[in-house]
Amino acid sequence: MSALFIFGILLVLMLTGMPISISLGLTVLSFLFTMTQVPLESVALKLFSGIEKFEIMAIPFFILAGNFLTHGGVARRMMNFAASMVGHWHGGLALAGVLACALFAAVSGSSPATVVAIGSILLPGMVKAGFPMKFGAGVIATSGALGILIPPSIVMVMYSIATNTSVGALFMAGVIPGIILATMLGGTTWYRAKKFNYPRQPKASWMERLSTFRKAVWGLLLIIVVMGGIYSGIFTPTEAAAMSAVYSFFVAVFVYKDMRLKDVPKVLLNSANMSAMLLYIITNAVMFSFILANENIPQELTSWMIDMGLGHIAFLLAVNLLLLMAGNFMEPSSIMLIFAPIVFPIAMKLGIDPVHLGIIMVVNMEVGMCHPPVGLNLYVASGLTKMGITELTVAVWPWLLTMLVFLVGVTYWPTMSIWLPTVLGMM
Amino acid sequence: MLLRPFFSGEGMAVMKVLNHLEEWFITFLMGGATLIIFLAVGHRYAAGLAIPGLQDWLLGLNFGWAQELCIIMFVWMAKFGAAYGVRTGIHVGVDVLINQMKTPLRNKFIIFGLLAGATFTAIVATLGFNFIWENGMHYAVYTMLGLDTGVVPQGPTTPDLEWPTWAVYSAVPFGSSLMCFRFLQVMVNFIRSGELPHHDHGHVEGVDEDIQVALASLSASDTLTPEDISGEKPRVDRKEDKR
Repeated sequence: MSALFIFGILLVLMLTGMPISISLGLTVLSFLFTMTQVPLESVALKLFSGIEKFEIMAIPFFILAGNFLTHGGVARRMMNFAASMVGHWHGGLALAGVLACALFAAVSGSSPATVVAIGSILLPGMVKAGFPMKFGAGVIATSGALGILIPPSIVMVMYSIATNTSVGALFMAGVIPGIILATMLGGTTWYRAKKFNYPRQPKASWMERLSTFRKAVWGLLLIIVVMGGIYSGIFTPTEAAAMSAVYSFFVAVFVYKDMRLKDVPKVLLNSANMSAMLLYIITNAVMFSFILANENIPQELTSWMIDMGLGHIAFLLAVNLLLLMAGNFMEPSSIMLIFAPIVFPIAMKLGIDPVHLGIIMVVNMEVGMCHPPVGLNLYVASGLTKMGITELTVAVWPWLLTMLVFLVGVTYWPTMSIWLPTVLGMM
Repeated sequence: MLLRPFFSGEGMAVMKVLNHLEEWFITFLMGGATLIIFLAVGHRYAAGLAIPGLQDWLLGLNFGWAQELCIIMFVWMAKFGAAYGVRTGIHVGVDVLINQMKTPLRNKFIIFGLLAGATFTAIVATLGFNFIWENGMHYAVYTMLGLDTGVVPQGPTTPDLEWPTWAVYSAVPFGSSLMCFRFLQVMVNFIRSGELPHHDHGHVEGVDEDIQVALASLSASDTLTPEDISGEKPRVDRKEDKR
């Protein structure tokens, strides 16, 4: 009963178009004032303590690092390096775009940032080289989604906040699926480029490759700083995020000199704006899941699901469908924060690994970012290319299909995600 | 209307000062917190190096409070940044349904949404104020005024910095009040001019102009990745805008 009430109110409020954070908060308040005896003080306390965790602070740091990287010429050098490595194969620049997205994803925690960073450099080059615009847009919009699967990833931090799973283990678990997805997207690109006979780049010599690598190495080193730092225990994930923010500031301003010192406050302000928005959603989502837990709703759902005789195969299918549907209307962080606390207890009861579940959810978010009506990557790509959303939807389908195939793989073959963190002894 | 000047936004000198103060404050918090964690981690490893003199000095410094200060700074940044976010229109909503509506009806929903935001933040500000009042502010104010505090509790302090908790938590009532004010301000502006602090979904500021330039000058340059698009760098900060 109370579950129906809570979700009903939330759905109605969200559909009116008010910010998701506000609809979460108002749902909690209206439930508190009408239906329950939970003392108001305990909720007021959540207002304060909701985001008082050091783990959460990784989010603003990763956003700041991402902004420095996007503005600071790191992406351009990675693009050049990727083009010199794979540019001579079928699909040339497009293939290099997939590789560059994967590399950039390994230093940045967000998908749309990856699309902007790589897309704004790649697309003009591709059009000039003779690719149709929609081919480039399709590649970039989907490969950019690697941003949240390949660590570091802001969406993974969100999952770990919602479920108390180790961020380090999640990051490591994302590595192999990330590489596999990048390969699959590359394969699709290669196949289609071969089929339509798209142009290739002249083969770069090893000297050229070395020189582009040397130029890109400052950005590539960041992968080692973050992943190496977390894995070896030198940094906690939050500290690693802060280090990568300082490092990317240093590289952008002093090494590559693509950003002037006087541009820095603006980047800080923009990052603060973005982070505050996400932290505000987190605060309200924490209150929301507190109310859910207080009313025993996840437990009731769990026993209901078990009583229905839902096995883990059917359950994972249901989770995928639910998340893909939610991905039509909401952006990833909110989906993660609202759905993870509900799905998580059921998955635990069914013996699904928490890290594996996290990776499944992240891949779902990726797919959701690449199709309308709320595919963020599509909107960013549409901003870059001036193509309409409908046209882009048609343009991305080969890669979107590839991602769906990958989603099935990642869902039913847990080894792909949990092998690496297990071998590394992180779980 | 007596209140009108307060909501007229841009023109008012007071508003300008408030806007700048808000921006300056969250910029400072963002940069400051990053610097503090950087220094704390740097200190942790540098203190392990056996450099005579320097090591003793470093070991003498205590950075145990860094984590707590970072959290406090980010909580303040989150609360005031959320208010700034109302002004820049960054708070994301589900607009699939209302975008199907005709303009007059859609406008009603937008105003409803803004009012809901104002209501929620006002309630939170009230709750928050009551909370900090009960948890030490009452005592602190009475002590300051030299009044008899009686049985009013002194309230807790934070574990590492030992700052009074109520002062740290006052970010909630202050930030929420400011946010409420911003919602009302945006609403009044919307009713008057029909404009929201809105960002086009697909518009990534700075980038598309660059692309146009780059596409136009493609023949002029023969590098793989035209350097000429690097003028004004893409701004990703508004990528999640949904309004």
